[in-house]
Amino acid sequence: MRDLIAPSCVVAGTLLMERVPMFFSRLAFTLVIASSLTLVACASERTPVRKSSTVRVVDDFGDSVEIAPAARIASLSPTTTELLFAIGAGARVVGRTSYDEWPAEARRVPDLGPGIRPNVEAILAAKPDLVVLYAANDNRDAARALRAAGLRTIGLKVDRIADFKRATALLGAVAGDSAGAQAVVDSVQRTLDRVHAATADLHHPRVAWQLWDTPLLVLGSGSYQHELIEIAGAENVYADDTKPNTQTSLEDLIRRDPDVILTDSSRASAIRRSSRWRGVRAVREGHVLAVDDETSSRASVKLGMAAVTLARLLHPEASIR
Amino acid sequence: MTLRRGGRPLLWLGLSVALVALAVAGIAIGTIALSPGAVWAALLGRGDATTITVVRDLRAPRVALAALVGAGLAMSGAALQGILRNPLAEPYLLGVSGGAAVGAVLAVVAGATSAGLVPLAAFAGAVLAVSVAMVVARAVGGRADPRLLLMAGVVVGAFANAAIMIVLANAPADTLRNATWWMMGSVAGAEWSGVRWLALYIAAGGLLLVARARDVDVLSLGEDSAAALGVRVEQSTRAVYLIAALVAAATVSAAGLVGFVGLMVPHLVRAAGVRSHRSLLAGSAIAGAGLVIGADLLARTLLPPAELPLGAVTALLGVPFFLARLRTLA
Amino acid sequence: MIVFESLVVRYPRAKTPAVRGVSLAALAGRVTAVVGPNGSGKSTLVRALLGRVTIESGTISVSGADARTLAPRELARRVAVVPQRETPAFPAPVRDLVALGRHPHAHGLARWTEGDEAAVERAIVEAGVGDLVERSSDELSGGEWQRVRIARALAQEAPALVLDEPTTFLDIAHEMAVFELLHRLARKGTAVLLVSHQLNLVARFADEIVLLHRGAVAAAGSPLDVMRGDVLEQVYEWPLVVTRDPAVGAPSLVPLRGHRGARDTPSH
Repeated sequence: MRDLIAPSCVVAGTLLMERVPMFFSRLAFTLVIASSLTLVACASERTPVRKSSTVRVVDDFGDSVEIAPAARIASLSPTTTELLFAIGAGARVVGRTSYDEWPAEARRVPDLGPGIRPNVEAILAAKPDLVVLYAANDNRDAARALRAAGLRTIGLKVDRIADFKRATALLGAVAGDSAGAQAVVDSVQRTLDRVHAATADLHHPRVAWQLWDTPLLVLGSGSYQHELIEIAGAENVYADDTKPNTQTSLEDLIRRDPDVILTDSSRASAIRRSSRWRGVRAVREGHVLAVDDETSSRASVKLGMAAVTLARLLHPEASIR
Repeated sequence: MTLRRGGRPLLWLGLSVALVALAVAGIAIGTIALSPGAVWAALLGRGDATTITVVRDLRAPRVALAALVGAGLAMSGAALQGILRNPLAEPYLLGVSGGAAVGAVLAVVAGATSAGLVPLAAFAGAVLAVSVAMVVARAVGGRADPRLLLMAGVVVGAFANAAIMIVLANAPADTLRNATWWMMGSVAGAEWSGVRWLALYIAAGGLLLVARARDVDVLSLGEDSAAALGVRVEQSTRAVYLIAALVAAATVSAAGLVGFVGLMVPHLVRAAGVRSHRSLLAGSAIAGAGLVIGADLLARTLLPPAELPLGAVTALLGVPFFLARLRTLA
Repeated sequence: MIVFESLVVRYPRAKTPAVRGVSLAALAGRVTAVVGPNGSGKSTLVRALLGRVTIESGTISVSGADARTLAPRELARRVAVVPQRETPAFPAPVRDLVALGRHPHAHGLARWTEGDEAAVERAIVEAGVGDLVERSSDELSGGEWQRVRIARALAQEAPALVLDEPTTFLDIAHEMAVFELLHRLARKGTAVLLVSHQLNLVARFADEIVLLHRGAVAAAGSPLDVMRGDVLEQVYEWPLVVTRDPAVGAPSLVPLRGHRGARDTPSH
């Protein structure tokens, strides 16, 4: 209806103006019509379409999605499941992937299958209001299918600490508890700040973080782990590579000459036993440190603890809390 | 085919020189630039600890492993082409590669790291696949008919590929990457402890094949003719088949799947005029070793610091080879 | 010498045996020829000797010993066999191929001796392939290849020689040369057993002929005894007549036209 008001005013005004021959009368009349049209337009904008509060964001697929509180959430990535439970919205999670195993309560949530190329039918069967997918290219088809079925679907990719903050805020809005989410973010940030301050004046060792052995993958600068290293007071020798991880050769690692090698515990013992790795000075000097997989595997609520653990590992002489 | 002392000293000289040159290049070239003097000093144990380790414990075992893998696969291919009387036969056609891959993939999925369990599982898988192929050929045909052996191997290989696809279809990303990388072949993880074992194995297998080389000369004439010349056809065929398959299985368990070597190298050596299988085996061993050392060199220098999979480089080298063969056939 | 005694050979999954109780002896110093229509079991005899088919019953003895008890190498030292067909997978120089005939003597890691070399040379001369020795096997014609294989068998220097259709691709000159060679070898003491389709040449050169029909011996004896029109016509199932060739004095078989009333074109 309101779409007809403006043109009707114009038509009415034109008809009326033809009956007012004098210039000033015409001008006055035009002004009155114009202002009333403006008033009508402004008034219509202020009136919301829906009663609830929604916001549009661009998700990590690059799609514009509406964010509204949801009572039933299918969370198809370990990070988002962990975050939802951390902000107290665990009860809303009606589906998870096979790999979402933290916290323990999450295991009671129905397993909907894999997070990459998920089973769309299984997701639909769980009747969620909202589906949160890992924003990999492999999942674009699934996102399309879910949206075509009328389900609100968001793709999230949490690679860096800033992503963690954004994802937590978004999930907080979805859970209807933005304040709680903000509290979680603030708590993590406080810990990170504390660690950063504690290590700022210490000597910063040069570090290479081995993520995989065959092929040899090391940490680049494109992920939260790199940020954790910097917060924990160290320098990543592969910082020049902006990818999250990069394939390299043992000789290249030797050439960059790190002071410390970080890796997980089983690989750490393999490195210490290996004759090839003795070409790395850090190995010969005994600086191979094992980083516990649990604390460092995701950019999530354990980021703070991960930073503390790393800092203690890298600066054993300092006492970091 | 000659049983007499052969000629062609130039060919042997050329092959040997090429092998030595490639081995030297393999040890001298790498991501860390080293002067020839530094390389020599490091080989003798002089210089700084890093350089010594790089030369002696990183590059040298790698070159040695590449040589062993190349020699083993080439000898295996030469012997198989002889007894199967088929110039397109190669070790991977027997189900060896498929079986080894299944073993390795299962080990990876079960959570094993590459160091110890995966090679053993790969070897067990290869042996199982070859045994199944032989049993199938025997059950279907009643004799160790070469064509049946070949087809049974292809069938086993096809089954193995299907099994691998099923296992990997729902595997987590890490497992998938590890399994795929293994299947593409690499000598990056070479260490002297493993290389020593493989050397013993390849040497033993090679000697056994050379001892039977004259039988293979005769077998390549045909079964009736071979029987007429006094060869135990079934026994000999089976024995050579098994030895060749086990040698190939050992290379696969040490370095993953490095294709085309077993097919290309015997062809190239034969094209140079070598006929008797004794010379063919020796020549293939030398040429195969050189080829894989060269391929590994390319794999680590084409896109530094990343390494290409070794199997990809040998496959790439196979393309011009096959084109050239097509031209000679036409 | 080679003696087949009541040999019965059946191929797997066959209803009737390919060889039904055949007995024949190829004695030293004689040319014994086995003839018969296609499928009469001639080649099966040769394959049974080589151990390539299983013997259901009966025995084959070579120089007095049961062929089945002899090691393949020992058997190859006593009898040299030239099988009907052979297509090698890879080309090789002719001299090397003839040299393979020494395999039963110089095997495994044994060294190649001057005796071996001499035997190869003799075989090359005897078989008349001296002009082919430097050629590669993939360049030879069918006939040349056949002669090379005969040379290889001669290099084995075995007291018995068995040939399965050795003259299939040979022209008149080479065919006659082979038959004369076999005759010479027999005169020197070799036991020659020959499977052939060439009835007329067999009639001239063989000392004994064994005629097979559907796996059994239909007739055996000297050429004059076996080459009789009624017997041959029944076995070969084709109208024919056996005359006496005036030029060489041997029985000569002339096949007639199949259609009644058909006539041959006059020769001039």
